[in-house]
Amino acid sequence: MKTFKLFTLLALFIAFTSCSNDDDGVTVLEIESRTVSNLHAPQTGGIDQMGNPLPISGEFTKFDFSTGMTTTSATEWDIAFRATSIIVNGGVSLETTDEPIRTGNAAAYFATGTMASINAVVLSSLEQDSVNGYVMAQWYTYAGPPTHLISPTPGKILVIRTRDGKYAKVEILSYYKDAPDNPDAFVDEERFYTFNFVYQPNEGEITFQ
Amino acid sequence: MRILFFIIISFFTITYSYSQEDQTVIKDTILTQKLDEVIVTATRTVRQLSSLPLPALIIGKKEIQNINSTRLNNLLNEQTGLITVSEFVGGEGIQMQGLDSQYTLILIDGVPLVGRSAGTLDISRVSVGNIKQIEIVKGASSSLYGSEALGGVINIITENPKNNGLKGEFNSRFGTFNTFDNSINLNYKKEKFAVSTFINRNSSDGYQFTNAADLNTVDPYSNYTLTAKLHYDISKNTKVSASGRYYIQDQIYAPTEDEAGKIKINEWNTHLKVNHKYSDKWQSYFEFYTTRYIADEYLNSVIDNSPFSKSDYNELLMRPEIRAAFNPSKKTSFIGGIGIDHETLDRTDFTTKPKINSPYIYLQYDGYMNDKLNVILGARFDNHSEYNSQFSPKTAIRYKLSDKVALKGSVGYGFKAPDFRQLYFDFTNNFVGYTILGYNAVETAIPELVEQGQILNIVVPISEFDGALKPENSVGYNFGGTYKPFSNLSMELNLFRNDIQDLIDTQLIANKINGQGVFSYYNVNQAYTQGLEFNTTLKIDNHFKISGGYQLLFAKDKEAERAFENGEVFARLSPSSPSFQLSKSDYFGLFNRSRHMANIKLFYTYDKWHLNTNIRGTYRSKYGLLDTNGNSYLDTYDDFVDAYTIWNWAINKTFKKNYEFGVGVDNIFDFTDAPESATDVLFVGNIPGRILYAKLNIQF
Repeated sequence: MKTFKLFTLLALFIAFTSCSNDDDGVTVLEIESRTVSNLHAPQTGGIDQMGNPLPISGEFTKFDFSTGMTTTSATEWDIAFRATSIIVNGGVSLETTDEPIRTGNAAAYFATGTMASINAVVLSSLEQDSVNGYVMAQWYTYAGPPTHLISPTPGKILVIRTRDGKYAKVEILSYYKDAPDNPDAFVDEERFYTFNFVYQPNEGEITFQ
Repeated sequence: MRILFFIIISFFTITYSYSQEDQTVIKDTILTQKLDEVIVTATRTVRQLSSLPLPALIIGKKEIQNINSTRLNNLLNEQTGLITVSEFVGGEGIQMQGLDSQYTLILIDGVPLVGRSAGTLDISRVSVGNIKQIEIVKGASSSLYGSEALGGVINIITENPKNNGLKGEFNSRFGTFNTFDNSINLNYKKEKFAVSTFINRNSSDGYQFTNAADLNTVDPYSNYTLTAKLHYDISKNTKVSASGRYYIQDQIYAPTEDEAGKIKINEWNTHLKVNHKYSDKWQSYFEFYTTRYIADEYLNSVIDNSPFSKSDYNELLMRPEIRAAFNPSKKTSFIGGIGIDHETLDRTDFTTKPKINSPYIYLQYDGYMNDKLNVILGARFDNHSEYNSQFSPKTAIRYKLSDKVALKGSVGYGFKAPDFRQLYFDFTNNFVGYTILGYNAVETAIPELVEQGQILNIVVPISEFDGALKPENSVGYNFGGTYKPFSNLSMELNLFRNDIQDLIDTQLIANKINGQGVFSYYNVNQAYTQGLEFNTTLKIDNHFKISGGYQLLFAKDKEAERAFENGEVFARLSPSSPSFQLSKSDYFGLFNRSRHMANIKLFYTYDKWHLNTNIRGTYRSKYGLLDTNGNSYLDTYDDFVDAYTIWNWAINKTFKKNYEFGVGVDNIFDFTDAPESATDVLFVGNIPGRILYAKLNIQF
């Protein structure tokens, strides 16, 4: 079933992109719309078995909208993931262990709506990571005991300015491996992001249409 | 199950139409002089229930005996609009007019039970073996009772010996899950002197659901209740009484497979009362009440017996009160009182040992303007050092349109003082790592955490905690009427609304370096509960009685409602589908509230065989326990606990006048909604399935 779904998405994606490739005399780049599955964002530390706080460490998994893929580049990334933390490549570091240095001018904000209804960027809402925290900290709802599930809050669309001044919107769908329909925090492997994104590759263009 | 319910309803309707035809016959042949029940809780004076301008209800001893009830929780569950809700391990609180159990005051003989360690007062600890009647008054009643009487008051009135001589009663019930309940009542009265004692032991093996792993859903427990009451008439006009109650419970505590421990509860109270009549018009009461509630629990590792956790809770309430009643005429009465509550609490995870003194004063007028119009006006003032002082007025009116129809309405203010936990808690969860701070604890605890280097960033500045936490408060409205078309049929309708403000909730105030949060309490929410309640009783003859009740309820958070209205709430059907916007009608309301609740009861007595039997059904429509789709609201796309109906049946036979033997089945159709897995939370935890029992009652 899951494989089938992924396959469908992939097929749609191929169909979509191949259509766009049919255009010739390209002056305006096509808006890209994709699904990223199982982006792994591991972390070490947190709390131990007895609940004592341990320092958090581990490399962030960096993502580049222009390629639509993860990257290990120190500079060519837009957002990065480590467990539930999402950072942008812009602003200041909270200086947690292994947190990368911000080299770009990325920024972000949360828009309320559906992926389809958020069509333009509100430039004044854009913020960067600061000493007050990560701008994209509250993307999820934690259910607490006994399920302890972490669910992406429906209706929260991440609007992002990339490191080089282009725009993207993101809807996070799942925090568990293979995006199961009924995730179980004790069974399903966590820290695997599945998200949809739309990327506007044309410089200065603030709409997604 | 639902179908069965409707069959009964239709049966009821048919019987009703029959009885209308037979009306004249019944009236002529049987003199049904029903003794009117009196209630003391509503006005703190003796009042006829039928003429009261407030929505109220009495459960009599006879009903308690006929349905073979032993604990307060199962008894209240069968009443219209009342439901017990499990809120923590082994604890069941009462929900009234859609308000949580923190907002209902529970009294025994007019004085409060304490021990709300987690907000809920566990009413299963109250034995009903020595009860004369239970009085339930719905609607805000802080004008007489102060804090906690926001949704209503439940007052348990214990029995007093009526006749001279020694009288005793032995009662024993044994049922499924090895549940034993044995009690002895001994009463002695000689002219001016009376003494009554009551001893009860209640124990059970508890029960567990298969999928809840090795853990018991209710762990084994045993408890004792001892009460003694002395009464002496010093003179015709001066009466003295002293009573004491002692309760002790042991319960196994095993929240996970690796842990084993015990919860031990010790509770006692003493109540001294002097009543003096100066004249026909004046009398006064002096009361001194003291109660202490101690709960100790510990949890050790199963493997090496090393301690996991240990917590103590020790609460004391002392209340002297002077009350005076003035009756200038038969149609007018005044009652007023002045007193002080002295409370202390010694508890694990507290920053201080709080000591609180709150003096109070109240006055109430109750009068008949003419034969038809009865007015009650009352108010109370509570002074407090830790939160804003409260002024609680109330007014109630009843107007008799005819012998058959009366209208009534009341508006009252109710409040619930912030509890000690909300003020002084300083608790860090050792397993997960989050911290909860009481409002007053924030100013000292946050700098400490900062110093220890545990804080990543502060979300709400400490200066926000300079003021005082406000009591949660509400204005309650009740309007309705009674209709008695015939002497044997009565109907009552009540529309209610509780407008609640300053509800206390937790908020994130800082983030810790371990990725967890620091939370504290604040006044934020506004909510309301509204709906209607309908009750009817039909006495077909002196042997056959049918009653039915229904409650419609809407319980909503006002901010949540606004969020839905503004289109800020979204949902998605599955993780792979995109989210969509929800509309106002998609908001279901507060957790754990059913839109519809109903009950029907049939009581039948067959004198020739000295037999009585009854069948009672209760229905509860679907309700949500938590948000299951990540938008933090309960909406129609969330998973719900399904509606259910429970049927209970009992039959009792009396032998040789003093022996009564009874058998019965609670939950005849064995309804259960067990968890499907260890993480399934949408199950009904306090209904273990069918319960068979037998009981024996001996009077001597």
